[in-house]
Amino acid sequence: MRDVSFLLLEILDRRIRPGDRRWQERVEGITGIRFSEGLARTSFVTLPDFDRDGFLEQYTAAPRALGKGQLALGAAELAALRSAGVMWSIDGWTIDQLGRVAMLALVSQRLSPTELEWTLSACYCHGDSRERQAVLRALPFMEWAERFIPLAVDACRTNEVPIFEAIACENPFPSTLFPDLNFNQMVLKALFMGVALGRIFALDRRRTPELARMAEGYASERRAAGRSVPSDIGRITPYREEDRATRIPE
Amino acid sequence: MKLFDPHIHMTSRTTDDYQAMAAAGVAAVLEPAFWLGQPRTHVGSFEDYFASLLGWERFRASQFGVRHLCTLALNPKEANNPALAQGVIDLLPRYLDKEGVVAVGEIGFDDMTPEEEQYFARQIELAREHGLPILVHTPHRDKKRGTERSLSLVRELRFPEERVLIDHNNEETLPLVLDTGCWAGHSIYPDTKMDEARMVALVKKYGAERILVNSAADWGVSDPLKVPKTAALMRESGIAEEVIERIVWRNPLAFFAQSGKLDLAEFGESRSVDQRALFQGSSVLRGQAPIIR
Repeated sequence: MRDVSFLLLEILDRRIRPGDRRWQERVEGITGIRFSEGLARTSFVTLPDFDRDGFLEQYTAAPRALGKGQLALGAAELAALRSAGVMWSIDGWTIDQLGRVAMLALVSQRLSPTELEWTLSACYCHGDSRERQAVLRALPFMEWAERFIPLAVDACRTNEVPIFEAIACENPFPSTLFPDLNFNQMVLKALFMGVALGRIFALDRRRTPELARMAEGYASERRAAGRSVPSDIGRITPYREEDRATRIPE
Repeated sequence: MKLFDPHIHMTSRTTDDYQAMAAAGVAAVLEPAFWLGQPRTHVGSFEDYFASLLGWERFRASQFGVRHLCTLALNPKEANNPALAQGVIDLLPRYLDKEGVVAVGEIGFDDMTPEEEQYFARQIELAREHGLPILVHTPHRDKKRGTERSLSLVRELRFPEERVLIDHNNEETLPLVLDTGCWAGHSIYPDTKMDEARMVALVKKYGAERILVNSAADWGVSDPLKVPKTAALMRESGIAEEVIERIVWRNPLAFFAQSGKLDLAEFGESRSVDQRALFQGSSVLRGQAPIIR
C-alpha cells in the first residue's frame, strides 16, 4: 500500500494551488507526514497524540481549501497508478475527494485498528453526502480492510445514487471482500437503480449461478409487468432470445 | 364511495396531499412505520418517529377529515443495524397496544440477510403476543424468492395466515400469496411496483377476495391519489362497483379490524372536521380561516 498512498499524495501535491498550502500544512501537522517526503512504513500507532478533532475539521474543510476541480490525470499518472496496482479508475474523482482519500490513506498506516475504525466511522456517520462518498472511495486503501465490510455493506442500503456509486462503481472493495449475499444484492440494486453493471469492478470474477438466478428472476418480473429489461443484464445471465424484444437500445 | 389507502407514508406528504386525498374520497389511511430514506442510527430516533405517527400525524389527518391508523415495527433495512435493532425491538411492546396501532409492520425482507430473518421472526412473535395482524413488505430485489421465504416463515411459525398482509405484489407473486390464506396488497406506483392498468388486469383475473391496493406514497416519486385513480380505471374497465368497493374499502377495513381496535360502525361515518383544534399548541393552519364541518 505504501506506493499507492504515496502516489495519491503526489497527485494531490501537484494540484494544490499555491495559496491553498495552509490546508496541507495543517494536515501535515495532524498526520505527522510531510507530503513531499511521502510515506515511510513504520510500526502502527506512530501517532500517539492523534488530533481527532483537527483531523475531522480538515476532512470537512477539504472542498473549501482545495476546490472541486476534476483531477484530469495525465498519461504518466495513469500509468503510475496502474503499475501500483490501482486497476480501477479514479479519474472521476474531484480534487477535494482525492484530498480526503489521501488523508485517510495517510493515517490508515499510522493508527491502531480501533482508532482507524473510530476515524472512518466519524467521517462517515457525521459526514455529508460527499464526505461519505470519500470514505467509501478510500476503503480500498485502508489497512485492516475487512474491518470495514459492515460499513461498506451498509452503504449499499442508501437511496442516494452517488453514495451507492461510490461503493459499487469503480471500487474494488466489494468484489474483493463482500460475501456473496451482499455482493449479489449490490449487483441487483445496481440493475434496479439503472447503474451500469460495467462499472462494477471485477464483476466477472464474482459471477455465480445464484447471481444469474437472481438476475433471471428480475428479468422475468420485468417481462411479466410489460417492462423493459436492462440491456446489460447479459453480463450476469446467459443471453436469452426472448429478451431481445424488450431490450432498451444502448 | 369511501376509499381506504392501506399503505401511505403521510409523514413525507404535505397538507395539499391531505386535501386532495379527502376531496377524492379517501376517508382513511394506514401509515406503516418504515425507513425514512436514510438510516437512523439511534434508538431514540425511533421513539420520536413512533410518537409522531401516534400523535402529530394522526392530528394532521384529522384536520382534513381523514382517519389515520398506523402499524409499528423495526423495518427490514434497519434490522441490519446491530447498534439499534434490538433496542427498537425492546421498545415495541410499549407501543403495540396503543390505540390506532392495528398491526405490526412493515416487517419482512430487504436484502434477505440472517439478521432480517431473525427480526422478522421475532416481530411475528410480538404480533402474536399482542394480538395483532402483520403487514409484510416484500423486497425490490429477488422479489419472488423474498415472497416465498416470507410465506414459508409465516407457515413455519404457524402464524394465522388470515392475519397476514403481504404487500407490494406483482404478477408473479400474487398467485403465490393467494394460494395461501394471506391477503395481498398492491402498491400502485408511477414507475415501479404496479400500475393501474396492470392492477385492473389482475382484478379481472383473480377477483377481489383478499386483494388490496395502496399508493405506498412516500418521499420518492409517488402519487397519493393512486387508490382513487385505480378505482376510477376499474370502473371505466367495467369492474362492478361492489367489487371495487370491496378492494378499496371493505377489504382493508376487514383486515385491520382483526386487531380488535376498529369500531366498524364508527368507521363508516363521515368524520367531522374542526380546524380550530391544536396539537400540543400547534395548528396545521397558517392564518387561514378554520374549516368546521
